[in-house]
Amino acid sequence: MAGIGWKLQRMIDRGSLAGTIGAYLTGVAVTSAPWLLTTAVLTSLRLVARRSGTEFEVIERFLTVVYAVTVVLSAPVHVVVSRFTADRLYDHHVEKIGAPLRRATALTLFMFAVTGLVLVLLMRLPLPLAVVGAPLCAIIGAQWLMLSVGGGMTSPVVVLRAFGVGAPLSLLAAWVFDHSFGFGPAGYLYGFAAGQLATLGMLVQGVARAVPGRADEAARLLPAFREYRLLAFSALAYYLSIWADKVVVYLVMGGDAAAFYAAIAAIAWFSVIPAFAWIYVQIETSFYQRFRAFYSDIEVGASLKQLKERADRISVEARRILRGAGIVQASASGIAIAAAPILVRAVGLSPDATPLFRMAAIGAAAQMLTLLEVLLLYYFDLRRDALLISTGLLAGETAFTLAAWGAGWPPVVGYVVACGMTAAAGAILVRRRLSTLVLDTFQSQPFGVA
Amino acid sequence: MASTSTSPIPDVCLLVEGTYPFVAGGVSSWVHDIIRGHPELTFAVLNVGSHPAAYGEPRYQLPENVVGLHRVFCQETARAPLTGDERAELREEIRRMRDSADARTEPSRVLEGLRRLHLEEDADPEIWRGILTDLAAADLSLPELLYGRASFDLLTAIAEQVASEAPFLDLFWHYRAIHVPVLRLLAAPVVEATCYHAVSTGYAGLVASVWSHRTGRQMALTEHGIYSRERDMELARADWIRDAAEADDGGFGLRTATWAPRISPLRRLWSRFFRGLSRLTYAQATRILTLSDVNRKKQIADGAPVDKIDIVPNGVDLPAEPPPLLEADAAAADGHDVIELRPAPMRVGFVGRVVPIKDLITFIRACDEALRSVELDVRVIGPMEEDGGYASRCRDLVARLGRAEQIKFLGPMPPAKIYPDLDVVVLTSFSEGQPLVILEAYACGVPVIATDVGACREMVEGRTPADRAIGPSGFVTRVATPKETATALVTLARDPKLRRRMGAAGRKRVTTFYQRQDMLAAYRALYGSMGAAGPAVAAAKGDAPAGNVTAEA
Repeated sequence: MAGIGWKLQRMIDRGSLAGTIGAYLTGVAVTSAPWLLTTAVLTSLRLVARRSGTEFEVIERFLTVVYAVTVVLSAPVHVVVSRFTADRLYDHHVEKIGAPLRRATALTLFMFAVTGLVLVLLMRLPLPLAVVGAPLCAIIGAQWLMLSVGGGMTSPVVVLRAFGVGAPLSLLAAWVFDHSFGFGPAGYLYGFAAGQLATLGMLVQGVARAVPGRADEAARLLPAFREYRLLAFSALAYYLSIWADKVVVYLVMGGDAAAFYAAIAAIAWFSVIPAFAWIYVQIETSFYQRFRAFYSDIEVGASLKQLKERADRISVEARRILRGAGIVQASASGIAIAAAPILVRAVGLSPDATPLFRMAAIGAAAQMLTLLEVLLLYYFDLRRDALLISTGLLAGETAFTLAAWGAGWPPVVGYVVACGMTAAAGAILVRRRLSTLVLDTFQSQPFGVA
Repeated sequence: MASTSTSPIPDVCLLVEGTYPFVAGGVSSWVHDIIRGHPELTFAVLNVGSHPAAYGEPRYQLPENVVGLHRVFCQETARAPLTGDERAELREEIRRMRDSADARTEPSRVLEGLRRLHLEEDADPEIWRGILTDLAAADLSLPELLYGRASFDLLTAIAEQVASEAPFLDLFWHYRAIHVPVLRLLAAPVVEATCYHAVSTGYAGLVASVWSHRTGRQMALTEHGIYSRERDMELARADWIRDAAEADDGGFGLRTATWAPRISPLRRLWSRFFRGLSRLTYAQATRILTLSDVNRKKQIADGAPVDKIDIVPNGVDLPAEPPPLLEADAAAADGHDVIELRPAPMRVGFVGRVVPIKDLITFIRACDEALRSVELDVRVIGPMEEDGGYASRCRDLVARLGRAEQIKFLGPMPPAKIYPDLDVVVLTSFSEGQPLVILEAYACGVPVIATDVGACREMVEGRTPADRAIGPSGFVTRVATPKETATALVTLARDPKLRRRMGAAGRKRVTTFYQRQDMLAAYRALYGSMGAAGPAVAAAKGDAPAGNVTAEA
């Protein structure tokens, strides 16, 4: 984290517009590129398939489910693994990273292969699709794990190169398998899987280079799952919340309504990219520096007065980032809302989707702010608070989406209300915790233990 | 609290800090003597220790009239490193404890007492009795102290008012280190007794004061050394307190002639705390007994009420047989006890624990210096295991000086075998109360060279005009000045008659002013005045004096 932070800071410190833009584009690349490229490939596949008249719906539905399931199930793993990795980097025990990571990767591949098998059976995929469906689930699950570790240990170039090469390769391979080998619709899945495998291969190679060769085989990851279980649950709850409203819509309104709803939500989610990039750069640069300064000052013997000043600076900085994120997001949301008819038309949705899209954009903005609050709570190791916000978001989305449907309103209203309320609660909680940072830092210390 | 008791309410509960019966030394010998000297009374002993692993087996056979031995510890033995799972559990436990601590509605009186203990400047005993009343409320749990917001508010108040420059991280841990023992001691169940007798201020004095306050029973205090002053000396040398010294010299390690260390705010904090404990004890004690006029003045300076203080010097029994006479001197003895003179080398003894506060290093250097001029046979007599590192340093120094032939480490020996074989006893301590060693030496007609600490000067030169008229019974030197001690050694080695004269003066001094029976009579009267009347009263109340302690829990 610190490494990329310094690079970003150097770019900003050049004082030129190009340097600043470069820093924020790096933020876009790191936070959104894998997701953008994957989405682009899936959209392109859909367009190519439609043009060639292929029945693509089954594959599209399967891929959507695979991504949803892997994102949700791998979230606890990658949060714990990245935290474990960060801790080992911090305490200079890098030799303890390699072996647990290897085992975690193997276990992830196995577990998601089983998950994929269950999915193909549940979705009754034909055999040619099922043969590649299960391995694809394992590949994508492992990608999330590598992304979480790679983000902390490797250069962003590794991640960008893996997805930059893998995404077009998926598209190309899909086209080749369909047209040259006559695989039909299954060819798209084979081609896509081949591209994703290449992406995973490049990620693994990049991470393997970053992990020191000297490995402590006795190092174990399981205790970290116990120690960071609140973080794991928090991540699980947050990622479940991304899908909770869609699942509710699917259950109460059926598949077509859910597909329509999901499409609107997916497009609206694009409006958070600028704010994501802005948050990423701010957190990794100025906020991280103030955060480190606070803890370094504790270690080097700062007085209470000095620590209070440092804590105040962190608090001011956190508020600045929240405010700034709000402004950037409001601008992006404003543009999205104003351009809603054009955007809705461009993606092939009916004009009825326009007001719903506008509301979804507002909900996405609030959800993005909630994520920022959860990240700030993670930063200060306030796991229980982070879990509270994440589960609040999950429960809120589920309940309010259901309530909106019950009241005869569009489900997106429930989504907006839930995200808005959670973002507000999160802001209050972050503000309150930062006001007692010195107290919490010290009075949480155990006594009489090594 | 670990305890072994076989009796109804004892007459006296003696409260000691870390000493009797587990550590040999002057205070422990004194306690042992007090108990044995009052066979008509029953005693309970409360030993305030640091943690269970710090002490071994008792070093004293408890007398028959000890009816209970109780132990209370300021700390727990450190736990093993935690696993990730245990750390997570602990984290959750702390969170729950924090929630419960912050849910408290009534402010804690103990916290208020601790706040005043640290921040109060006035020595008025009434104020300190008020602080004691707050502390005796014992309404603060350990989790509330460690994790509560109110406790942190106290920490910040201390930081802002008395330790604003201190590294806050250090202050935080020192805050805990100071107060966790206090809370443990406040929580200790009261040992019932007719009266309480603390053998120091500090933690033992705190417990005695709180118990006296809670039960309404009277309490006496005997201070051998002045506790707060002794702690100040230890604090000055303590390497577990991080100083701002590095900053004082600009961080370059260049300490010029004008460089002087600032008093670390953390040392100041501890010092104020110990002084506060002394003031609490002085305020609650019915009587305050000290060994010398020097100590009395220090106690008054530290806030002890003048009208409570009595001087009761230590005392020893004179040997049944007077010191042998040299035939040549028998005629000149004129009926007085005189001391045998032996040919060279002069036999020099250091009698005491080999610990830094005794400054054996200065003693060795002084002997080395004196050995360049006269012949000496030097013996270091006393236990060496209390501070093994320091003992090794002393042995190494002797070896490095090439004096292994002349300076020998003999380990502990019974007093009866020590003094008849010595011509002079030397004390080079940084701090003393009224050293028993000097009285024991005097009883055997052995003169003393002692540093000017505690009651040493008045023991050597006399306290009252009548005492001074006896003449000096040795030499007084400054602390940590080997040259002065060496000069005194050479003088005594070259002038056997002076040695004899001083030895005789010592014996006369101890015969006149420092008899054990006088000391015991004073304490008998004290205990009587506090309601501890012995078996007659106990029998009238229907209580039976009890058997002895047989085991230590």
